[in-house]
Amino acid sequence: MEVIRLEDVTRVYRIGEVETYALRGLTLTVEESEFTALVGPSGSGKTTALQVMGCLDKPTSGRVLLKGEDVSKLSGSKRADLRRGSIGFVFQFFALLPGLNAYENIELPLLLARKNGKQRKERVTELLEAVGLSDRAQHRPDQMSGGEQQRVAVARALATNPILILADEPTANLDTDNGRQVMEIMLRLNEETGTTFVCATHDPRVVAFARRVVELRDGKVSDDRLPRGNAR
Amino acid sequence: MRQLLKIAYRDLVRNRRRSLLTLVAIAVGVSLLVFMSGFIQGAITDSIENNIRLQTGHLKIRAESYDEDKVSLAWEDLLDNPEELAAQVRALDGVEAASPVLWASGIVSTREESVGVRVFGIDPLSDVHARIRDGLAAGEYLQPDDRSGVLLGQRLAESLGVAVGDQISLLVNTADEAPDEATFTIRGLYATGVPVYDDTTIFLPLSKAQAFTHTEGRASMILALLKDRELADGLAAALRAPGYTVLTWREMNQVILQAIQAGMGMLYIMYLVVLLVVAVVIANTLLMSVFERIREMGILSALGMKGREILLMFVVEAGILGAVGVVLGVGLGSLAVFYMSKVGLHLGEMATMTTVSAAYSDTMYARFAPAETIGVAIAAMVIILLASLYPARFAARLEPADALRND
Repeated sequence: MEVIRLEDVTRVYRIGEVETYALRGLTLTVEESEFTALVGPSGSGKTTALQVMGCLDKPTSGRVLLKGEDVSKLSGSKRADLRRGSIGFVFQFFALLPGLNAYENIELPLLLARKNGKQRKERVTELLEAVGLSDRAQHRPDQMSGGEQQRVAVARALATNPILILADEPTANLDTDNGRQVMEIMLRLNEETGTTFVCATHDPRVVAFARRVVELRDGKVSDDRLPRGNAR
Repeated sequence: MRQLLKIAYRDLVRNRRRSLLTLVAIAVGVSLLVFMSGFIQGAITDSIENNIRLQTGHLKIRAESYDEDKVSLAWEDLLDNPEELAAQVRALDGVEAASPVLWASGIVSTREESVGVRVFGIDPLSDVHARIRDGLAAGEYLQPDDRSGVLLGQRLAESLGVAVGDQISLLVNTADEAPDEATFTIRGLYATGVPVYDDTTIFLPLSKAQAFTHTEGRASMILALLKDRELADGLAAALRAPGYTVLTWREMNQVILQAIQAGMGMLYIMYLVVLLVVAVVIANTLLMSVFERIREMGILSALGMKGREILLMFVVEAGILGAVGVVLGVGLGSLAVFYMSKVGLHLGEMATMTTVSAAYSDTMYARFAPAETIGVAIAAMVIILLASLYPARFAARLEPADALRND
């Protein structure tokens, strides 16, 4: 069953009289439970594709369907509702709120989704355990390593049981060990929960974990393959 | 909401110096306004009270034809049975004291000097004149049957170069429209603290003043002091009768009240200016905060926070700063008012530049003005919250993708 489908999506940025095509007629479908790597050189449109999939940005033309629903022309408020309930994000720069500790950062999407105290506590405790950070719950981002912060970010992305997690260069700021640890956690959670993962990356370590690799070039798909062998 | 409060609070703590400077700006602005309110309130109260206690009373009853500017002593302009009338007024509920007073104009002369004065014939034992009695600075107070003694203002005595026990010549206009002159002994000197009053007014016992001015037991007016000045309108209505004019303290203090209104208009403009400055400081602080946190807005937006929730977050931040700043400001301002209510501001000769109808004491004391203070606090909070809307809307309208791209 498809989770996200991009149909002939174009995204143009206009600065003054200059037009930049970040995406040019991109067509792509991602099925449920996939663990897909979106690869390509800088400027190929990976981040823009992720933002359009995640309803952070609207296409200039074309359609974006999330679970069959056309979300291309939704208002900002309705797109926020979708992100709140259905989509999780993991960013290159971890993107935790500096004023909140690990527990509170993971709890934030649950608060926005209006879950009650008991539900929030159960879910956050479960996620902290899943990412191996139960003993770091009260630590703020400036008290954690890069790997720990990214694990909190993964836990936060999963908080509301989204159907889709979009990770933009999740290992770019991590060393080899931490990068591998984060990818292992993401893959394990993908297998355990069936949540679809799409990772934009040019890190071969990430590509090695993917079960599908989609290559972008100049804003459109240039290759779409299933890598041979075990990803780990 | 709890999490919004937490994020807002943490951001304020994260930028301690900026938050502290903003707090100081708010606190100083608000404390200045609270202090100004207290000072103005003290000045207003002081001036009205001076006039009531020294000149107008809370109620004044006089003949319809009496003209205060002319200080008439013609019998038809005076009250025929002032003692009886005063007794009737005293018997009313709410009246603290009532007494007849005779006004005349005259000239006080010594060997070297002559000066125009107002001559008041009073019942010295009446509480209507308690302010004079309590203000005795030297010598003795008057007795009702004293036929040759006067009370002089201490400042007037100094300017004439006379003291207690000295003799002065007093020339007055009389009911016969011819002047009369007599020599009096200075029994005592008084100081009310109101220079414009102390410089110009001389007191005689009523019976002596009546004999001296040939007014045969008549009086210019009955002055009454009330237990609560808000009773004035009701009592005035009860006392009004054909042939008499009854005036309330409000009617008699029109000059001061009009000056107060004009003054309050200027004061409110000043309030606005100060609060606008506070608003600009808040708006600037929040704008800086927004620009520093654009990416953070993108993250919150990615998590599903809506524009109006981001707006609310910044408004909450402004609200916290505003609330703490306003409370500090009210505290500091109130301390300043308390201090000035005890120590006062000595006006000295500046107080002589006022008129008898808008008489200020030579030392002005501040008074706590609760209604004004609450008004300032509320106005400050409203303006702070309004000022936060521009930066908050800016943050709320950021496109998530653009915000995330920000470094």
